[in-house]
Amino acid sequence: MKTNKAKITISEEDFNKFREYFYRKTGINFEASKRYFVDKRLIERIEATDSGDFRSYFIMMRFQVSGAELQLLTNLMTVNETYFLREDYQFECMVNSILPELVKRKTDNSPIRIWCIPSSSGEEPYTVAMYLMERWPGIHQWDVEIISSDIDTGILNKARIGRYSARSVMHVPAPWLLKYFKQVGDEYQLCQDVREAVEFTRVNLAEPADTRSYKNFDLIFCRNLLIYFDDLSRKTAAEVFFDALNPGGFVCLGHAESMSRISSLYKVRKFPQAIVYQKSLESR
Amino acid sequence: MAFIKKTTSPTINDGQHTPEVRDCQTLLTQLSSTDASERRTAARELVGCPDCANGLMERLKIETEISVREVILTTLTRLGDPVSIAGMVECLRSEDAALRNEVVEAMKLLPQEVAPMMLGLLADEDPDVRIFTVNVLESLCHPDVEAWLIQVISNDDHVNVCATAVDLLGEVGSVDAIGPLEQLKARFVNEPYIQFAANLALSRINEN
Repeated sequence: MKTNKAKITISEEDFNKFREYFYRKTGINFEASKRYFVDKRLIERIEATDSGDFRSYFIMMRFQVSGAELQLLTNLMTVNETYFLREDYQFECMVNSILPELVKRKTDNSPIRIWCIPSSSGEEPYTVAMYLMERWPGIHQWDVEIISSDIDTGILNKARIGRYSARSVMHVPAPWLLKYFKQVGDEYQLCQDVREAVEFTRVNLAEPADTRSYKNFDLIFCRNLLIYFDDLSRKTAAEVFFDALNPGGFVCLGHAESMSRISSLYKVRKFPQAIVYQKSLESR
Repeated sequence: MAFIKKTTSPTINDGQHTPEVRDCQTLLTQLSSTDASERRTAARELVGCPDCANGLMERLKIETEISVREVILTTLTRLGDPVSIAGMVECLRSEDAALRNEVVEAMKLLPQEVAPMMLGLLADEDPDVRIFTVNVLESLCHPDVEAWLIQVISNDDHVNVCATAVDLLGEVGSVDAIGPLEQLKARFVNEPYIQFAANLALSRINEN
């Protein structure tokens, strides 16, 4: 690392050191092609914390008791690009195939539990809530609990606020837009009823103590996250979901992701609307 | 009926509190629980215990539940320490074919860690271990894979080991493999499969 007051630089050794540490802590692996993206954010934080150079910053971040700087950096390093009704065939699958199968099997009145991860700015879990209200008659008979998680605390706060750009809501049907959003200048504010339907939590999938208590879910949406992980982190995530699911529960991945290439723990289920993955009913 | 805002799992971490980290001895004991879910949880959380590889290996040898084995192997892979690697290598000698295959898959994820052991494993006295080692090379992202395979087809006397290696050389081989492939054909002149596989590998290399 070479440094002077005018210009902070990140050497290749620094980059590798950081990338190895960040991978161990979060499961997110940066290829060499992401060097510019990573360097830019590291330099931003070195300057903001007056650390002077990478080494001082890295030591401060690693040994900070509160972990606040690592969390801040994590927030900067994660990509939060999504919109309402993205890959909506899976939500069609949820209301037309998955939920009817789940409720048919239910032997008690316990709530149906849905976990959306990553939460990002909330478009996906709120889409789930709106889909259930608009397209699933069962919502009048069953309690539903939606929990949405992300490693990025900044984006969770944004999700809780529920204020969106025109681009975020571009696929929302006009009647839904009228019913659930209020236009505020150039933006759209999601109504309180939908916002209250989702519980947001901070979770690091690579940290077992974080995920330990996530149990008894019937359906998990984890879309377009695993593509950012390497093979080992994908396997870890698949195993976390396995324990988070009830027997017979389902996982929906993004269209470019396949559980069959990650883990042998799941059965492939081909529904008319989508291919999803299921923890077998016999699983213990 | 409606949406429930308040989570029904009061233990779910809200991000404001540091979750409890369980002590390693408790987790090692939990590895023997009668509940498979408890064993998976323990195996996953043992990733935070650097000296737990022996305990995980002992459980792996007797564990019958596939889902628990998968988590144990993921944790051993994440640990990637010498004890974990040595344990995986030991499993290559297991009579349990499923376990061997699971270990081969796990070792493929550790190219840097298993690389120093490759020469020793490829010279192991048990030809089955040599074959499983070539299987590891199949998806090992390491620059020496071709050199190791060339060494196998140049020196190994066992036809099945060479056959496994030559199949793979057809996929990853370069012009460096042409001479050794010709010599392999000469060494096993009466083995039709070796002749066929070596010719196929040579034609693929020459096409490129």
